[in-house]
Amino acid sequence: MDTEQTINQLTKIFTQVLERDSIELNLNTTANDIDGWDSITHMMIINEVENELNIKFKLLDLMNLENISDLVTLIHSEQKN
Amino acid sequence: MNVLKKLEYNFKKYKNNNAFCINDINYTYNQLFIKVSQIRDIIQKNIPDQEQICGLFDYNDIETYATIIALWFEGKSYIPVSVSSPIERNSYIFESTSINFLFSSHSEENYIENFSVLSSNINSNELIKFKPYIIDESNLLYTIFTSGSTGLPKGVPIDLKNLNSLFSAMKFDERHDIYPTDKCLQMFDLTFDYSIVTFLYPLLNGACVYTLPKDQIKYMYIYKLINIYQLNYLIMVPSIINYLKPYFGEMNFKTVRYSCFGAAPLPLNLVEEWKKCVPNAKIYNSYGPTENTVTSTYYDFNDYQNQISKNGIVAIGKPLKGIKTIILDTNNKIVKNGVEGELCVSGNQVTVGYLNNTKKNKSSFIMYDYEGFNLKFYKTGDLCIKKDDETLIFIGRKDFQIKIGGYRVELGEIEHHSKNFLKNNNISVIDIINKNNETELALIIANEEFDTKKLINYLKTKLPSYMIPTKIKFVKELLYNSNGKIDNNKLKSLF
Repeated sequence: MDTEQTINQLTKIFTQVLERDSIELNLNTTANDIDGWDSITHMMIINEVENELNIKFKLLDLMNLENISDLVTLIHSEQKN
Repeated sequence: MNVLKKLEYNFKKYKNNNAFCINDINYTYNQLFIKVSQIRDIIQKNIPDQEQICGLFDYNDIETYATIIALWFEGKSYIPVSVSSPIERNSYIFESTSINFLFSSHSEENYIENFSVLSSNINSNELIKFKPYIIDESNLLYTIFTSGSTGLPKGVPIDLKNLNSLFSAMKFDERHDIYPTDKCLQMFDLTFDYSIVTFLYPLLNGACVYTLPKDQIKYMYIYKLINIYQLNYLIMVPSIINYLKPYFGEMNFKTVRYSCFGAAPLPLNLVEEWKKCVPNAKIYNSYGPTENTVTSTYYDFNDYQNQISKNGIVAIGKPLKGIKTIILDTNNKIVKNGVEGELCVSGNQVTVGYLNNTKKNKSSFIMYDYEGFNLKFYKTGDLCIKKDDETLIFIGRKDFQIKIGGYRVELGEIEHHSKNFLKNNNISVIDIINKNNETELALIIANEEFDTKKLINYLKTKLPSYMIPTKIKFVKELLYNSNGKIDNNKLKSLF
């Protein structure tokens, strides 16, 4: 799956979990850039990503996420497995 | 036990042990002692004797912890405030206690106009020697501000007698013992009084305290700390393991020997799953209002044959030594064991009373004849059942106080500020349980829909972030029950 496709999927999940009309994500987006993306909603977003894309992350991998780019890389590596 | 004498003794006895591990850096008891001595020097040079209370910004660094101890050794107390809390709320806290001096390990530009801000950040490794201080048991050590239903937070002062009583009682119950080789988790903000136990009890036993950075997701960082540093003594709010639950399968923490929960109701099924992640740990639940100095009761989860719970919530257990508990009905009469009523606690851990709040002191504390003595009891507002063996079971609140991430939140305080801004009394704040089984705050407004950004921004200037509603719903009118009161249960069903 290519990066753009994954970002589109993530955008859908973010808007849904954070209950917003629109959210713009790019590879450099961090939690500081998005209102409402905090420690509580983070886990909800991660759960939703796991459900929607039918993958399961490891907690140790999740700890090193700094931005959307890291999340996309992690998703792609899980999808390969 | 005298907490301050024990600390002073441990600085020498365990001088080469690690006292803290903060952001992957270790600090020995000796290094901490040197920092404490330097900050005492600042206090002596800058703060007049009559200034008994100082504000303290709750940064996660060795300077902030050293400041607490230095203030204590100088016979002074601290009021912790959150660096992320609105300036207005923090300033209210300082002004209502007539504080002039604030300590910070950073520069507090927003406060320098109205207060003297002292820096605890010193670049020196030189020990400054002081004569030991004699500190009276009635000396205040800290004041914690908690949410108040009328819109203003209220201060709970705790003195040396209170803290000595707590740690003497904990020491008496050897199940909670800490050894000098232990690695202990300190996950609480300093504005939260459980931090007193999680950083001070290890220090009173020569052990090492592992803290959490402010900018990290708590449950993930805790997982990392247990993994990397092999922590063995954990005290956590239940929400931490609720968040970690999807990953329990990856967890097998053999090093953990003690795992205690507190500050919020502990779900039975959650802790039963967690037990498998910490196969060698003894598990406890704990309970205690800030007004009775951090911890009042412990429940031993390890007697699997006789487990006590109600509505899926683990019991809060039996009182610590020295604490008397009674359950009162609405007429202030003691109920029979097994009957629900308001839990009241008495003993040397009870605070002298809220700061400058006569009205609240009258309603929250009562004198009661109990076992031949006339004792002062604190009315917790928590509905409980007492069993014949003294075990207490938590049922719920008798008012509109709830817990968010362990913090006490009065829904009335949020409603007060929302009404003020909207000039609309037809609103209600309720607590709802989200998909992740966590409590969230919802604001219901009886009005045509409008953009609530300004309202939320206003609330952010009045309230700490955990008190800002995360869900907003507009309704034609609020729902009322047959008594004409807002029916919050009906409102909850909207979500």
